[in-house]
Amino acid sequence: MADDLTPRPPPDQPRIGVDEWVASVEGKRERYRGPIGWLRRGWDEAPPGVRLLVFVVPAAIFPLVTTEGNLFRYGLITLLYALLGLGLNVTVGFAGLLDLGYIAFFGFGAYTYGYVASSQTGRHWPPLLAILLAIAVAAAVGLIVGYPSRRLVGDYLAIVTLFFGQAFVVFVNNANRIDFPLIGHADLTGGANGLANIDPIKILGWTVNTTKEYYWFTLGAFLLVMVLLYLVSESRTGRAWKALREDPLAAEVMSMPVNRLKLMAFVFGAAIAGFAGAIYGSVQTGAFPGDYDVGLLITIYAIVILGGAGSLAGVIIGALIVNGVPELLRDANEAEWVFYTTVVLLVLIKIRPWLRLAVVVVGTLAFGFVLHAIADAAFPRWTAGNPGEGALAHWVSHWMLLPTHSTQIANWAYGLLIAAILVLTLLKGWWRTIVMIPTIWLAAFVWENLLVEQTAGATRFLLLGALLVVLMNARPQGLFGTARVEIA
Amino acid sequence: MNWSLFWDLTVSGVTLGSVYALVALGYSMVYGILKLLNFAHGDVYMIGAFVGWFGLHALGGPVSPNAAAWVVIVLMFLVAMVACGGLGVVIERFAYRPLRNAPRIAPLISALGVSFFLQNSALLVFGASFRDYDTFHLIGAKTYNYGDIFLSVPQILTIVSAIGLMIGLTLLVARTKIGKAMRATSFDREAASMMGIDVDRVIASTFFIGSALAGAAGVMFGLVFGQIYHFMGFLAGLKGFTAAVIGGIGSIPGAMLGGLLVGLAESYATGYLPQGSTFQNLYVFALLIAIIIIRPSGILGKADVKKV
Amino acid sequence: MRRRATAIAALLALAALAVVAAASAKADRAAAPAAASSADARLISCGNTRTMGVLGPITGPAASLGKLQIDWIKYYISKYNKTHKKGKLRAQYGDTVLGGPGGTAEAVKAAQSMGSNVLGVVGPAGSNEVRATTATLKNAGFAFVSGSATNTELTTDGTRTGFFYRTVPPDSAQGTSVANFINKKLKFKRVYIIDDQEAYSTGLADTVQSKLRSAGVTVTRDGVSQQQSDFSSLIAKIPRDTQLVYLPWQLPPKGKAFGQQLRSAGKGSIVLMGSDGLFDGEFASLGNVYASSFPTSATNAVVKAFKKSHGGDPEYFGAPSFVAAQVVGGAIERACKDGKATRGEVRAQVRKTNLKKTVLGLNVSYNAQGDIKGGQFGIWKANAAGTFNPVS
Repeated sequence: MADDLTPRPPPDQPRIGVDEWVASVEGKRERYRGPIGWLRRGWDEAPPGVRLLVFVVPAAIFPLVTTEGNLFRYGLITLLYALLGLGLNVTVGFAGLLDLGYIAFFGFGAYTYGYVASSQTGRHWPPLLAILLAIAVAAAVGLIVGYPSRRLVGDYLAIVTLFFGQAFVVFVNNANRIDFPLIGHADLTGGANGLANIDPIKILGWTVNTTKEYYWFTLGAFLLVMVLLYLVSESRTGRAWKALREDPLAAEVMSMPVNRLKLMAFVFGAAIAGFAGAIYGSVQTGAFPGDYDVGLLITIYAIVILGGAGSLAGVIIGALIVNGVPELLRDANEAEWVFYTTVVLLVLIKIRPWLRLAVVVVGTLAFGFVLHAIADAAFPRWTAGNPGEGALAHWVSHWMLLPTHSTQIANWAYGLLIAAILVLTLLKGWWRTIVMIPTIWLAAFVWENLLVEQTAGATRFLLLGALLVVLMNARPQGLFGTARVEIA
Repeated sequence: MNWSLFWDLTVSGVTLGSVYALVALGYSMVYGILKLLNFAHGDVYMIGAFVGWFGLHALGGPVSPNAAAWVVIVLMFLVAMVACGGLGVVIERFAYRPLRNAPRIAPLISALGVSFFLQNSALLVFGASFRDYDTFHLIGAKTYNYGDIFLSVPQILTIVSAIGLMIGLTLLVARTKIGKAMRATSFDREAASMMGIDVDRVIASTFFIGSALAGAAGVMFGLVFGQIYHFMGFLAGLKGFTAAVIGGIGSIPGAMLGGLLVGLAESYATGYLPQGSTFQNLYVFALLIAIIIIRPSGILGKADVKKV
Repeated sequence: MRRRATAIAALLALAALAVVAAASAKADRAAAPAAASSADARLISCGNTRTMGVLGPITGPAASLGKLQIDWIKYYISKYNKTHKKGKLRAQYGDTVLGGPGGTAEAVKAAQSMGSNVLGVVGPAGSNEVRATTATLKNAGFAFVSGSATNTELTTDGTRTGFFYRTVPPDSAQGTSVANFINKKLKFKRVYIIDDQEAYSTGLADTVQSKLRSAGVTVTRDGVSQQQSDFSSLIAKIPRDTQLVYLPWQLPPKGKAFGQQLRSAGKGSIVLMGSDGLFDGEFASLGNVYASSFPTSATNAVVKAFKKSHGGDPEYFGAPSFVAAQVVGGAIERACKDGKATRGEVRAQVRKTNLKKTVLGLNVSYNAQGDIKGGQFGIWKANAAGTFNPVS
């Protein structure tokens, strides 16, 4: 293929004089190289129905091949988060509005559904009607919030919506003690204890009770919203939103009704969030205030941006990563396998030429065994600690140092490891190869002595954080996003 | 008019506001130069509080310190500020610099990743329990009063050091060469680099200073309020961000003013309004919205002129 | 045209393969997924090591509380394994991240992650978490015993009878003893209640407030966020003629900070009282404060041994989790007498729990709803030296 016409400047220098078209041409040329390029071409040229099938078929098979616990953790929650991500994608990805109160719509959906369909409030509306009501209420609230904020730009919209989100949580947390002037004491939301005993969903006589059934239902809902959003994004409104996102001023000059478009994006996103909220409320059998706070908002933002703002497929991948990775690391044995497999794969894939790869692999193994032998002979306390459970940990304990009182040493080693990894990114050539050997060993040391204790806890979130940083650095536009260049 | 209550509330508001102002300064400075909201800033503040605690215990601990209390406190501040400054520079170099030309939303997620990483590393290494600065043993809780105004020693310490740091920062930005470079870079990054300013160094210095201030704020928080734990950066970051926006994001005196206003607003809301403490966050946000409606770019912010 | 078709087919195949591979790699060690009713009757082989599930906040804003509970549970397991050569216990931990970003969904995920060889569960810690995880744990057939979920409706609304038990009294019991003590013993007329906006706290505060108000006591109510450390403005607002401030909080360090700030504001004459969440040495170090708690005795041999191995800190908040682990561990042992057990058997054994002289200072046996029979709550007062002594 043709070589690069101009060498690309390093990423932290401004690219003066490059425009969107040039950037996209370069991108396209690079895109179809190699085996990954082949897959990419297949994806790009496949009609949307096929692309949908690529997702639907595995998703449909999933409940049949896995256990209930895994289905819930990896399947159902991922789908719910992805559904929320779809809604946020409309507001942030399609229209470019930074909505920091999005989770409040989620909460409105859940609480509305619970208010009319739970044993605690005594009302038992037909669930389908309750879901429609939840969507309607969330959309109405979206309208109410969006209308005064339609003229705000960027960061100011963010602040106002953040306020709204906080107001919702505080209100819902304290709404069991409200004294209305005419009605008297009213318990709207159960306060901090939430609205419990929410009814399960019933459609045409079928009660959704087990995890599998919830999964099918949510999958159906997700597909419905997905198809709807695809049709919308290809419609006139969708194109108008994209124009609005790229350059609001130009859009206005082109006589697009900018404020009305913003309002529509808000309401659309809110309606989808309300729908997801109703489903979530019945899955959890309750609506609790703490579930609709800033923490979850940040998670959904991570999902949307990681997958690529504006991309529907990206939301699914984003949800899989952000939800799946911490779940995968919950169990210490599984996490052990994941860790070592990842390290080995990274080394095998990323280090070229083959000579360097051989040096690193042999060097690391030798380094470990030599240290182990020295420690066994001269400092027995350094190898007398407890190996973990499982076969892999057993083998590793012959290669790795396991001191008896490892906490202090492991803490310092952790700091040293972070420094080593950062230094490694700055080195080049043979220096990098040489420093890589003790770094990999150190990583395994820290894993065995510190991180593996807390896989159910701190480790998994720590690694998720590191993963986010690395992924954003590798691909700033998100996995499925389109590369953009800010015009100088 | 209950003056005693009023002065009590004002003193608490100013104390808390000083801490918020220092955190807001870091946010504002970074936003001014990079247009980036640094989510990890609150966690740098948390690390500062912990570094200060470890420094305190390395110097003998609060009950029987190895040197005079004042020496210990100054050393704690210095160590925390240097450590946090360094941490800020490292974060910038590895998490934000590669994303300088990426769409604005990408460094946000990178910042989020750094935040998760710092919080959970602190949990992993320091443990889940709260740690206590135990200022009562270190410098006592003597209270001085001037009429109806009561000030305890930790409060005086906080307010005075915050004012000192802010004066230092203003002098640095207004009088020194690096300060001039910072102002130029925040005005127009490309023109500044064309004028021969090393933009990378300027940005690194900005992060250093902003993070050092956050570290100082962390130590102050520990001295006045006593308890630190790994999750404390989250709320402080949110409040610092609010303060920066109220004062006009990108403006240094604005951040100071914003911090003070947020602290005072919280205090007065708690003290005077019914169920004020339960809803105090809401009242602060309502104040924020009111200010934005009246002056959209914040109190001391400059209106952003967008060129087409 | 053909290249495009093959590329598409390859994509589909790859995706399907990836999912099947991933799913079968993550499949649990035991074969079939458990359906709702068969979970009860499924035989789990007891073997030499039995697994107890533990659900608690290992990370997140409540991690400091989770640590106390898990410390005590680990202590129980190590003691148990020292005295049982055959049939040792091990724990499978599930992190519920109480108060964290995922909300109660994290708790449900943790409950769903309990492996197929888990026989009974200790936890979850929060009342809302109990509500959210009830469906999952009931479907799996687990008995779940919580050491800290105090909301009254958990045992009275009938949705989890026979599955859920607890080793702490419900809010109604604690609220009643506190209100009675304030009203009848101390005879105070002006009380300030400050909750920390969490479910545990507002429930207790509501109970105490309504009981005191109906007895004619003037009650002012306010709340602080659990994340807050600066109470100075709130303290400034508290009128000097207030007689008692009641803090139904969970975090002893915050209680201590409040007490110190109260005193340095010159309002030290106001009596401070905490709930069982503040029954801890840190809060007691303030001196002359009250707290409600079970009659846990500092001279109890187990408590003393725990203190010794944990740097002198008895970590009282976690003591009910020790008893919860005792309940579940004992039930597992009895159900496993014939080498195999079902989760249904473990539940039946939990119902028959009869522990004498637990570290809580009382005998533990259960009524039909799942509460401890005759679980009385006492009020304690910390003397100037910082140790709690019972006063009622």
